Amino acid sequence: MQSSTKITEPKNQWTARLLEFWRVFNKNRMGVIGLGMIGTLVIIAIFAPLIAPYDSSSTESAQIGDIYNPPSAAHLLGTDDAGQDILSNFIFGTRVSLIVGTFAAFISIIIGGTLGLIAGFNGGRTDNLIMRFTDIMLVIPDLPLIVVLVALTKPSLLNIIIVVGLLGWTTTARVVRSQTLAVKSRKFVLRARGIGAGNRHIISHHILPLVMPILVVQAVLVVSNAVLTESTLAFLGLGDPSALSWGQMLNYAFGRGAMSIGAWWALAVPGIGIVWVVLGLTLLGQGLEQVLNPRLETHHLTPGRPVVQNERDEFGSGKSADEKSGNILLDVQNLSVNYVADGRPPARAVENVSFTLKEGELMGLVGESGCGKTTLMLSLLRLLPSAGQIVNGKVFFKEKDLTALNEEELNIVRWSGISIIFQGAMNALNPVRTVGDQISEAIIRHLPDFPRDKRLDERVIELLDLVGIASDQKENFPHQYSGGMRQRAMIAMALACNPQVVIADEPTTALDVMIQAQILELLDDLRKKLGLAIIFVTHDLGVVAEICDKVLVMYGGVTAEYADVDTVYNEPRHPYTQELIKAFPDLTKPKKKLTSIPGYPPRLDALPAGCRFAPRCPAVFDRCHIEQPPLHKLGDMHFASCHLVEGSK
Amino acid sequence: MGVELFPRPHNLKSFTTSRSALNRTRILLRKIAWALFTILFVIVLNFFIFRVLPGDPARAGIRDPRLKAEAIEMLRVRFGLDKPVINCFESLNPVKLGSCNVNPLDTQFFIYVRNLLQGELGISYHTNRPVAEVLGERLWNTILLIGAGQILSIFIGVVFGVFAAWKARTSIDRAAVISSLVAWSLPTFWLGIILLFWGSKFGLPLAGKATPGASTYPLLQQWGDIARHMFLPTLTYTIIFMAEYTLIMRSSLMDVLSEDYILTAKAKGLSTFQILKDHALKNAMLPLVTVIAINLGFTVGGAVQIESVFSWPGLGLAIFEAVARRDFPILQGAFLLLAISVIFANLLADLTYTYLDPRVQTE
Amino acid sequence: MTSALLQVTDLQTRFHTPEGIVHAVNGISFHINEGETVAIVGESGCGKSVSMMSLLKLIPTPPGEISSGTAIYRGTDLLQKSEREMEDIRGKDIAMIFQDPMTSLNPVLTLGRQLTESMREHLGFTKEQAEERAVQMLEQVGIPDARRRINEYPHQFSGGMRQRVMIAMALSCAPSLLIADEPTTALDVTIQAQIVELVARIRESLHMAIIWITHDLGVVAGMADRVIVMYAGFIVEEADVNDLYDSPGHPYTLALLAALPRIDRRRDHHLKSIAGSPPNLLVAPHGCPFAPRCEFVIEKCRQENPPLIQIEKNHSSACWVDVKTGAPR
Repeated sequence: MQSSTKITEPKNQWTARLLEFWRVFNKNRMGVIGLGMIGTLVIIAIFAPLIAPYDSSSTESAQIGDIYNPPSAAHLLGTDDAGQDILSNFIFGTRVSLIVGTFAAFISIIIGGTLGLIAGFNGGRTDNLIMRFTDIMLVIPDLPLIVVLVALTKPSLLNIIIVVGLLGWTTTARVVRSQTLAVKSRKFVLRARGIGAGNRHIISHHILPLVMPILVVQAVLVVSNAVLTESTLAFLGLGDPSALSWGQMLNYAFGRGAMSIGAWWALAVPGIGIVWVVLGLTLLGQGLEQVLNPRLETHHLTPGRPVVQNERDEFGSGKSADEKSGNILLDVQNLSVNYVADGRPPARAVENVSFTLKEGELMGLVGESGCGKTTLMLSLLRLLPSAGQIVNGKVFFKEKDLTALNEEELNIVRWSGISIIFQGAMNALNPVRTVGDQISEAIIRHLPDFPRDKRLDERVIELLDLVGIASDQKENFPHQYSGGMRQRAMIAMALACNPQVVIADEPTTALDVMIQAQILELLDDLRKKLGLAIIFVTHDLGVVAEICDKVLVMYGGVTAEYADVDTVYNEPRHPYTQELIKAFPDLTKPKKKLTSIPGYPPRLDALPAGCRFAPRCPAVFDRCHIEQPPLHKLGDMHFASCHLVEGSK
Repeated sequence: MGVELFPRPHNLKSFTTSRSALNRTRILLRKIAWALFTILFVIVLNFFIFRVLPGDPARAGIRDPRLKAEAIEMLRVRFGLDKPVINCFESLNPVKLGSCNVNPLDTQFFIYVRNLLQGELGISYHTNRPVAEVLGERLWNTILLIGAGQILSIFIGVVFGVFAAWKARTSIDRAAVISSLVAWSLPTFWLGIILLFWGSKFGLPLAGKATPGASTYPLLQQWGDIARHMFLPTLTYTIIFMAEYTLIMRSSLMDVLSEDYILTAKAKGLSTFQILKDHALKNAMLPLVTVIAINLGFTVGGAVQIESVFSWPGLGLAIFEAVARRDFPILQGAFLLLAISVIFANLLADLTYTYLDPRVQTE
Repeated sequence: MTSALLQVTDLQTRFHTPEGIVHAVNGISFHINEGETVAIVGESGCGKSVSMMSLLKLIPTPPGEISSGTAIYRGTDLLQKSEREMEDIRGKDIAMIFQDPMTSLNPVLTLGRQLTESMREHLGFTKEQAEERAVQMLEQVGIPDARRRINEYPHQFSGGMRQRVMIAMALSCAPSLLIADEPTTALDVTIQAQIVELVARIRESLHMAIIWITHDLGVVAGMADRVIVMYAGFIVEEADVNDLYDSPGHPYTLALLAALPRIDRRRDHHLKSIAGSPPNLLVAPHGCPFAPRCEFVIEKCRQENPPLIQIEKNHSSACWVDVKTGAPR
């Protein structure tokens, strides 16, 4: 089936990309200001003869009385030690600074970029050699060396350019090398090799495009450095006497008594010029860096957003009035969480989710990536990232509403009431502190009366023992533990303050099946021994079947089905639950074909109207696209949000 | 996650505890050896630059055009410039090295090295005093200036950087970033000039390290006098370099605060202050130490400029004066001393880093 | 009786690290026939990925080293070939896809560029020809609106779609052998099912042999012909898929099967797990590597590493003990 439309021309691709880059760059204030600053200077440099009131180095009407004249109508910026107009000299000086800066930087970038690329790509002995050499050149003080070299050769503009260029490549080499190394070890390079690409192809097609942005940012910084160095050299008396750069102007002014006469204009003006160039380039460099390598400007300690209560309760509470009253530890009612984004509608990550958790109960929270399960869990303890905001609902922990607490009060509940085992314990432990230390920290924080002597150590050992970690591991660092051990250490830490509820967020996802079995067994054991209530977040139905008492199935941020585990597996009523179960490999029927659900989960900032599962639902009908189904109650402990189950029991 | 391309042993315990001590010593020795090698490299570089580059030092150093040819020749012999540079280097044909009948120990290079080892750095063309003597006094002044400046700028930079990162995206942060960027863009010598200009209006000393005749003052007053002279140069140095450290500390701390273990700490109910103190700071300082080490070479450049502006009697000023007078032995000696000092300081910083980071032990 | 498409004999791969020599692959032998699907199962670090990458000589050498073995593919030994010759084979005759599609695609190049790389390199297609074929392939793997999407960037696709694109890339030159290294491990279970379905469909039409590497025995069940189980760099069991699940012949396989959470076995069963962890690969193997954790262990196991012994037709196991009876063989 041939379509008649041609595939987009690649030239359009490049212009499209450049336009896109320009659009993003424009939003960056720093970069734009920097660009403007440099732009003005470039224009001044180009049109210097037209702008300057006097010819360069003109001694037109210069008399003895003209030396160090303050700013006046004839000389807007005053005169210097030779009676020349400072404004004109300044304007022409722009040329010198920019030319030296650009050419010297050019040399440095070529050398540094090539060396860095070769070192990073080839690795091994070549890398070692080049890096050693670079390290030596970095350690040797650059300015004294430059001074020495220029002093020994003739101080001409060309010499200065060459020397500055030849010594300015070290940072560039390091930066390019580390970027090359990073790119080289990325999977797509391996993949390219896997299809038979040779070195040259890999460098030109894969490595260079990713090194270029870094190089561009470096180039800007190298130019600013070169300009600074040239000014410094000129000031120290090593400038080219025939080219009046700003540094040279300062050299003359300083050395010829501007200070004692009080001729501040002769000292200020050239300096301001240098600052203008360097600042402009620095801002431009920062701006480029932010655009090319965007980093989140927020972190975990950025203050969170206030809780809002919308009081919208149209969707019915998931609370079942005749649930066997036991000790209800956690009662979540109509919790809704949004992620706020600038200039765009918020992503409705969690909408009206309710559930309860009793002592000793193990609830499985199931759903695909992006369905909101982690967001839901983080919001219970208000650990959301700075863009997250609770916009509805309450979280009752032992009768206290957590959403109404302030940070201090919340800190008391955290860990000692409810603790979390995070997904992927790789980085959830501080790498520069021992594991034992991090566990005892929790104890000290929440149990201030706990004796700080060796009984504390014993308690830590006891906890480690509980999860099957030998006591001598207490003094080791996280990187000395294997993946499974780290996860178990996280569990030990989560239990340190005897919490009533533990949230386990996909604790076994990245682990081997044997280790997973160990950990599941451990959690189940602990639950029975300590009476813990556990919420187990996962996308693995098999795990849920093995150990959970009840299941909350989420899809696209809402509750799809909420029931006890037998019901979920034997009589699932929501089409999504039904499909999930069908998609899971069943070992009793090894040759059964896996059926899959076509399509992909919805994007939370572009949700469909109506039921969120409608685009993929095998049982969809018209109403599903228009109206979002409320949570229907199907029994004591069975809820499903689907139009099909309306009115049934 | 999952596939490990280069499998690592699962049970690391027995290997690392016994090896960690051994590894660390090995790493230390290796770093020291490398520092020594770098010093050797600098010595060789230093020597060759001055001999190989055009501009016969003799002629350049002895500028008086009235000197007759024999006088020039005598001076050349006096400064040992008539001997071959190294073996048959004069012929520029390294192949002939072996077949040369020159006593290698009688070449300029080996004489130079031998003298160095005896602490002999040559004789100044300008003052005829031994270079070592002239520079010896100055070395400590430079170290004093750079030392004070570095300590202040690191301290202030860390504090500002922590605040900026902590209050990311607020006006405090923005102010810190903008002012740091501006400070960083100032040419060191120019800032010195401006500060000098203002300082002179407040009666601060304009040049030098001490008021003439101050050596007769009682000790405390002497130090006070030096402090007054040191104020402006140190201020200049601090303003320039704390800007960079602020920016580095800020970005390093922001990286650390985005790590998962910070979220764990928050979930444990630790207060923000506690988290900063116990979890974030140490981790964020490590990259800063590296940057400080790398930066040492560049800070010396700043010292040269500051000393020139304030006439602070250090190695930097020596370079400045030697350039003006084409006094090459001084220039050569000052450069060598500066380079060696930086190499040492770099080694110290490197060793500190090795002690601080537990991960380094087991690598 | 077709002769094997690929016959590997006694492959050994080691890594030279500062802490010592890591014995990653310790002499494995197996074969795969045309059109066959063989699953290689085992935990991380057992050598399954390393051995496949050794076949395609994708192991960096240093620190890696293929210290012995032959891999005869269509009559020639892959391990003896030069880098240039391997570049010709990779992608064209033998293709490999990797685990995490996010990192396997260059974020700054369009899909079109990356899809057509292989075809232009190996088959000499022009850009237009390659792009046409790329669009066809994308349509075949179920990417809607392929003609427009071919100019998009990886981040504009979801994980499941990216993996489909990887598959399309791997198949673009119609290789006779596809090595899939944990292609579904990083994906959700529903997407996983989609990918497995897709691969099954494609291999029918291309008559392609597949080596499917995974640690998940559940996924394998529905789509492999034969299964090879690896542990600590050795092959410990090899069987037709049904035989493996019905009557596993090695204690490790038993343990793997027991550790699998299963929907049908509700909570009345305890999940069985075995204590301990895989052995330290820095130590040269001596005796059976599984001995420290094995419930059937006898003295001989610690002294001598059992070779792969045939226990039934098309079913071999490296164990001194008959796990059905518990008695030594």
